[in-house]
Amino acid sequence: MVHQLPTGARDLLPLDLLQKQWFEHRLQQVCHRWGYQPILTPTLEYLSSLLAGGTIDANTVIQVQGRNEEILGLRPEVTASIARAYGPRYARDANLGVQRLYYHANVFRWRGDQGQNEAFQSGVEILGARGVAADGEILYLLADCLESIGIGTWKLVLGHAGLTTALIETFPESCRRAIRVGVAHLDRVALEQLPLPDSLIDQVLTLLDLRGTPHEVFAKFTSLPWLPVTSLPELDYLQSLFHLWQGDCLLDLSLIQPFDYYTGVVFEVVLGDRILAQGGRYDHLLSHFHPRGTDIPSIGFCLNLEVLQQVCQPQLPQTFPPPDYLVVPQSEAELPAAFRLATELRLQHPKAIVKLALTPQCITQAKERGVSHILTVNDGDILEGGTSAGAAAQP
Amino acid sequence: MVVTFALPKGALLKDSIQLLQRVGFDFSAFLDGNNRQLQIADPTGQAQALLVRSQDVPIYVSYGQAQFGIVGEDVLQEKTADVAKLVDLKFGRCYMAIAVMQCSPYRSVMELPPHCRVASKFVRSAARYFRELDLPVELVPLYGSVELAPMTGMAEAIVDLVSTGRTLRDNGLVEIEFLYESTARLIAHPLSWRLHDRRIHEVVHQVRRCLEHGM
Repeated sequence: MVHQLPTGARDLLPLDLLQKQWFEHRLQQVCHRWGYQPILTPTLEYLSSLLAGGTIDANTVIQVQGRNEEILGLRPEVTASIARAYGPRYARDANLGVQRLYYHANVFRWRGDQGQNEAFQSGVEILGARGVAADGEILYLLADCLESIGIGTWKLVLGHAGLTTALIETFPESCRRAIRVGVAHLDRVALEQLPLPDSLIDQVLTLLDLRGTPHEVFAKFTSLPWLPVTSLPELDYLQSLFHLWQGDCLLDLSLIQPFDYYTGVVFEVVLGDRILAQGGRYDHLLSHFHPRGTDIPSIGFCLNLEVLQQVCQPQLPQTFPPPDYLVVPQSEAELPAAFRLATELRLQHPKAIVKLALTPQCITQAKERGVSHILTVNDGDILEGGTSAGAAAQP
Repeated sequence: MVVTFALPKGALLKDSIQLLQRVGFDFSAFLDGNNRQLQIADPTGQAQALLVRSQDVPIYVSYGQAQFGIVGEDVLQEKTADVAKLVDLKFGRCYMAIAVMQCSPYRSVMELPPHCRVASKFVRSAARYFRELDLPVELVPLYGSVELAPMTGMAEAIVDLVSTGRTLRDNGLVEIEFLYESTARLIAHPLSWRLHDRRIHEVVHQVRRCLEHGM
């Protein structure tokens, strides 16, 4: 029988992992320098915990039968797990304050007809802080993360879930749900067919097209008499944010989800037609895990590693470095001396790669790869250069 | 930037090509009976088109291989692809309906017995409809000639797309419920649309103008 992997599952062979670690190492250094601390939550959670925020569709979670009839799920994202871990901690410790966290994790999802999928994400969260300072920090940290992995030309598409929700609430209650779904799915046709007077349909369609540079969008706002501009504190907030965030940005108020745990800014980082990262502010999620239901304002983002790996391929390492030293025992009798020599070299050169030749082929390969020190151990002597006839181990 | 359209083989192709001709793109080579090419460029070099099965149009668009696609709403209801639905193109009008044999004792959906068999090519639309009604049925997925299912007694009813109703009549079937109307849609890759590329918006604008002035 040939044992194959289920669809969507994948082995990460040494070169894949070398490339994955290339990203993780760089992102980790950035997060560390910004004062973020690492966290790792379990792969398996109670399904009810994953769904508590009300935004994850149970059909997208790969479910696992627990021992005592309970239903478990493989995490489809990490934020819900972090909220589950920290909600109760905030309840126990009133002085917990701001938590800055980062993670590297695999996530699992059912993707309809395409079957299940395992993907890797690196992400950060700030728990316990709101306002322009925290949101600005997240955007600048995101920019720093992207720069550390050599991505220079990206586009930030940013919306504000709270503002869009406030705008939707200016429409008759019976249509709000349909408007939200239509805007989230960019379904102009469905919005045109809403059972509303033409003047209101026009307003709904304006809402769908509220995107452009921040300057353009703010100008549109002031030119639309039906918009309750003065009663929208989110607008002032966005103006303050764009005072702080000077990077290139497309302000897009249709960037919402039909079911959203995001409450404030939401964003995607785009390169060509690919989404490199996404995130947003979620001020209510932790309350679902807080025994007294207290809100803990939070914001975060995650980077999609597979997409980054495709985009950054030219600059990623394509081979492992060759060893600095190859120790060749001339016969089995020389093995103790060879191990001693290798140990000594590792002590003397803590960063060097020291390998033992296990087969004659190792010597040929080392020569081809230009290994600078091939050390043959023979009769207690150490000679530079190897003879392929020499290796002690059997071919 | 060359704009790519994913065009559906079959009933919507001719109208799609006529519309795009009026917008200024000529893909009429697809209508030539001798044509075997699946990808052709517009003579101006400004656009190209991919000829794909209608069910595959939203897939090419959601993967970003085509910025635009033309496809029936019935396909979009069946394939939940991440695409922006921009314009109702008004052609290819048909509707999804439930039909039974003329001699069947059932004259409305609510009369169908629970757990009866319903055959369809549109399994998702059918499943969603019966779930909303809270009527448990056994769906029999078929690829075509769905009318045969009730004729042979395999199913009590069918959920199928109707344009003139002639196929139903000729096979002794009668509609008992209307689900939704479907026409062709202009769809786009959501990011291409969001990112406000001038070319993309021009195409949509021209298509809208063409429709306003009548096909």
